[in-house]
Amino acid sequence: MTSVALDRVVKKWGHFVGVNDVSLEIADGEFLVLLGPSGCGKSTTMRMVAGLEELTSGEIRIGDRVVNDLAPGERDLAMVFQNYGLYPHMTIAQNIGYPLKVAGVPRQERMKRVQAAADRVELSEYLERRPHALSGGQRQRVALGRAIVRTPQLFLMDEPLSNLDAKLRVSMRAQIKHLQKELNTTTIYVTHDQVEAMTLADRVAVMAKGEIQQIGAPLDIYNRPANAFVASFLGSPSMNLFEMQVSDGELRNPSFRLRAPDNAPSALTIGQRPEDMAAVAPGEGDFDSEVYTAELLGDTALITVRIGHDLVSIKAPKDTGFRMGDRVGIRFDRDTLHYFDGVTGTRIEFETGGYAA
Amino acid sequence: MTRHAKRLRIAGLSVLQIVVAALVLLPFFWMLSVSFKPATEAFAIPAELWPRNPTLENYVLALRPEFRRYFLNSMIVSGATLAITIPLGLLAAYSLSRFQYRILSVFLAMVVLAQFFPAGAMIIPIYKIVRSAGLLDTYASLIIAYITVTLPVAIWMMRGFLMRVPRTLEEAAAIDGASPLRAFVDIVIPLARPGIVATSVFVLIVTWQEFLFALSFTSSKEMRTLPVGMNDYIGQYGVRYGELMASSVMISVPVIAVFFFLQRQFVAGLTAGAVKG
Repeated sequence: MTSVALDRVVKKWGHFVGVNDVSLEIADGEFLVLLGPSGCGKSTTMRMVAGLEELTSGEIRIGDRVVNDLAPGERDLAMVFQNYGLYPHMTIAQNIGYPLKVAGVPRQERMKRVQAAADRVELSEYLERRPHALSGGQRQRVALGRAIVRTPQLFLMDEPLSNLDAKLRVSMRAQIKHLQKELNTTTIYVTHDQVEAMTLADRVAVMAKGEIQQIGAPLDIYNRPANAFVASFLGSPSMNLFEMQVSDGELRNPSFRLRAPDNAPSALTIGQRPEDMAAVAPGEGDFDSEVYTAELLGDTALITVRIGHDLVSIKAPKDTGFRMGDRVGIRFDRDTLHYFDGVTGTRIEFETGGYAA
Repeated sequence: MTRHAKRLRIAGLSVLQIVVAALVLLPFFWMLSVSFKPATEAFAIPAELWPRNPTLENYVLALRPEFRRYFLNSMIVSGATLAITIPLGLLAAYSLSRFQYRILSVFLAMVVLAQFFPAGAMIIPIYKIVRSAGLLDTYASLIIAYITVTLPVAIWMMRGFLMRVPRTLEEAAAIDGASPLRAFVDIVIPLARPGIVATSVFVLIVTWQEFLFALSFTSSKEMRTLPVGMNDYIGQYGVRYGELMASSVMISVPVIAVFFFLQRQFVAGLTAGAVKG
C-alpha cells in the first residue's frame, strides 16, 4: 500500500525559487494531477519525487520510507516522459524489459512479463521493432508498458499526452485512466491541460509560481475555485472575470453596475463561467454590448462580446439567433457568481449573493 | 528560374564536380599506376596514365622484412594510441557534456588553442621531455606524443556527439534502476557509437601517417614506423619511385579498409525515434 507525502518541499536554483514550500498527501491508489501553466513548478515537483532533482529542503516519503537520499531506481517507481524516453537502439521488447534486465530478472521470466505488459498496452505485434518504426501513440504505449512491467508502487507521468494529436490524446487518456484503475497504482500526473486534469484526476493540485493554489476533487475546484488564478485556469473557455470598484453599495466598472454584497471590500473581482451567463435581447440583461463573434460549437454556441478591452464568453443554445455585430443583452446569474478579493485574488464567500438593484 | 536554365546549372555543377574529383583523385591514381610500372616506365616522357607492362615487381621488392617490421611498429603505436585515447577521451567528453564546470569554457578554449600550435613548434620541447625521461627510441615516446595530439581533439569531437544523446534517456534509465555507469554503458555509448567510430578513425589516420615525431624520436630501424621507413626509398642518389609507390599503396590499404568497413557506422540518425524531435 503506497501513499506519498511531500512535506514542506522547496527547490531553489540560486535565488530562483522553483518550488516553494509544497506539502501534499497522496493516498494509496489515488490518481493525483498536478496542474498548472508552464514554469509553475509542477514538473520540478514530480522530478523531485522521482529522484531526478534534489530537494533544497523538505522531505518526501513514499510509503513509510523517506526517499530524499535514494537514487531514482531505489524508489520503486516508474515514470512516463513527455517525449517518451525510449531507447532507440533497443527493440520494443528490450525497451519494455530494460527495468527487469537491470533488476537481474532471469531471461525466461523477463520475456514472460514483457509479453504480459505488451499485451496490456496492445503492442504484442511490435515487440521486435524499434521505436523509430512506431507512431507517436504507439511509442507512448511502449513507455507505458515499460512503466507497468515491473509493477512499481508509484507511477509518475510527465505530460505523457502532450506530444500526441488531439484525437489520439482522447483515446490514450481513456487508456491511462482505465489502466490506472485496473492496476490500482498510486499515480502522480503532471499536465498543463485542464481537460486532462478534470477527466483523469481523483484530486487535482493546481500550482502557480511554485506554490499549490488549491487541492481538491475536480468538480469542487471547478465549482469553488480558491482564487482568481484557479478560476481562470480551470474550465474552457475560462471563467469571465471582471474587476469592480465598490462604492455606495454597488459594484462598478466602466460598462455596468451590480448590487454589491454586504461587507464587500473596496476592490472586488467577480467571476462567472460562460455556461452560467445568458445572452438575451438588448435591454433585458444587466448591460448591453455588441456581439464580437458567434461560434457554433455543435452542442452549444459560444457568443463573445467585448467589454472594455476584455472579451467575455457566453455559452448559448446552439440555435441562438445572434450574429456578429448584433446588439445583445448580457445577464449574470446571481447564484453562481464567484467573488475574489480585488487585491489578493482570494475567494470570498458572502452570506447573501449580490443582487442587482 | 526556367527549366532550361536549371538544367544548364545542374550540368555546369556536374562538370565542376568532375573536375574537382579528378584533381583530388589524380595523385592517388598516379600512385597506383606507378606502383605497377617497371622502373623504366616510371619516368617515361610523355607520361602515360596506364602502365604499359604492368608488374608486381615493385610490391615484391617493397615487402622486405624491414617493411613488415615498420608495419608492425605502426600498428602497435597507432593501436596503443587509439586504445588509450578513446576510453580516456570518452569519459572526459562525457563529463564535459553532462556537468556544468565553471572552467568548462576555459578548458574547451585550451583544447581548441592546442590545435593551433604546429607540430614543428612543439617538437623540440617534447623531444627534450622524451629524452630526459629516457624514452627516446621507444614505442612509449611516440604513443605519449601522439596522445597529446589526439586526446584533445577526441574529447572535442566526442563531446559534440554526446551532447546529442538526449538526457531524458539517462533519466529514464535511472528510473529503470540503472546506475549512472550502467546507463552510460547501456544507453549512452551505443547511441554515441557513430561519434566514437568517427573519432577512432580520426585517431588512426593521424597516427598512421605521422612522420615528424616518428622521425625525431626513433633512431634504430627496429623502432621505425611506416612513414619514416618509406624514407628509405628516397636516397642520396635517387628515388626508387616504383617501390615507394608500392609501399604507399600498401600503407593506404588499411586506412581505406577501415573506412570501408566502418562507413555504415558513420550514418547518423541512430537516435531518431528516441524522443520527439
